[in-house]
Amino acid sequence: MPDQRKTGPLPGAQQPPADAFELDDEDVLDAMRQIPGYLDISTEDFRAIYRLAHAHARQRLLRGLRAAELMRTGIRPLAPDSSLHDAAECLVQQGLKALPVVAADGSVAGMLTENDFLGCLGVRSVLDLLLRLDAAAPADVARCRDARVSALMSAPAICVAEQARAPEMLRAFRRHAGRSMPVIDADGRLRGLLLRKDLLHAAHLDDVGA
Amino acid sequence: MSLRRSCSRYFSKWRGTTRGSPPRVSSAEVLWSWVGAFVGIALVTWLNTRWFSGTDAGLLIGSLGASAVLVYGAARSPLAQPRNLVGGHVLSALVGVGCWQLLGHWPGVAELLAPGLAVASAIALMHLTRTLHPPGGATALIAVIGSEDIHAAGLWYVLIPAGLGPTLLLGVALVVNNLPATRRYPETWW
Repeated sequence: MPDQRKTGPLPGAQQPPADAFELDDEDVLDAMRQIPGYLDISTEDFRAIYRLAHAHARQRLLRGLRAAELMRTGIRPLAPDSSLHDAAECLVQQGLKALPVVAADGSVAGMLTENDFLGCLGVRSVLDLLLRLDAAAPADVARCRDARVSALMSAPAICVAEQARAPEMLRAFRRHAGRSMPVIDADGRLRGLLLRKDLLHAAHLDDVGA
Repeated sequence: MSLRRSCSRYFSKWRGTTRGSPPRVSSAEVLWSWVGAFVGIALVTWLNTRWFSGTDAGLLIGSLGASAVLVYGAARSPLAQPRNLVGGHVLSALVGVGCWQLLGHWPGVAELLAPGLAVASAIALMHLTRTLHPPGGATALIAVIGSEDIHAAGLWYVLIPAGLGPTLLLGVALVVNNLPATRRYPETWW
């Protein structure tokens, strides 16, 4: 059994991020055995280099990303005065769970999500809705169907600029519970929709163990 | 921070941070290290007896044995690369000769101070020039504590042995270390 002695930080070494994947001595020694020739590096030095290089690689992978390159374009946004019924159709057709609401002047007025529909029906989730299907009052459903998008949308919408880089995108996602958000240009006009899953996929966060 | 905590933190470093040293190399590696070191030192010895028989200020100095450990026994080490091998010896020799020229005229002071000053300054200069090569410390020391022949050689010591000796070891390392498929030398020239 390898002796998994707890070791302190290397004197003078910058403290690495706590989430870095930890290698134990046996991992490093095994790798060294596979490289012919004498390597004059201690396992602790190797670990320190690995941690810092790992953090650097993560920065490099994140730094190159911009919202404009990740966003989905060609989406049809909602109008503030359309009915929820039309809005629901629009969402279903595009296979999305949320859509930006764009005002007549082209600015992003808000965001309408599936949750806004559920809230209108007085339930907390789709499962909640299923459980209460029998009890749903037809009057509530009709009221929701005819309501205007502007009455239910979340406004103002949290948006990111086209030029936003990964840290800004991550910060923006942390500010709300949504899974997507509008990407806007300098004039506040809608340019596309940034999906959280697209950001996670592009950031290779799984590859670098973040 | 309290004194007690500072002390315990300080002495905890004495325990070491790492378990175990690097693993033993394969027997083939041992053999190639042996072959390289034998050819390298034998070549320097042969040239020394041909060119410098009868004087102690020749081509063969003790620090070359230490260089052989690095260049043939740990060829991947940053300490064993050509810049370090030749640069480390030459700069350290300069420092050593300089220390003797500076302090050698003061009996008593020279014996006490010059060795430490030479080795410490050689290390500092090698650090500053990115040429750290441990045997360089010995080359600086030999310039100071060596024989009268070495003291008399003056700056020639920088050229022979400190310049030529490591260059010969480098030539042998290029030939021998690149023969086996599992070895390569150098990692970097400069």
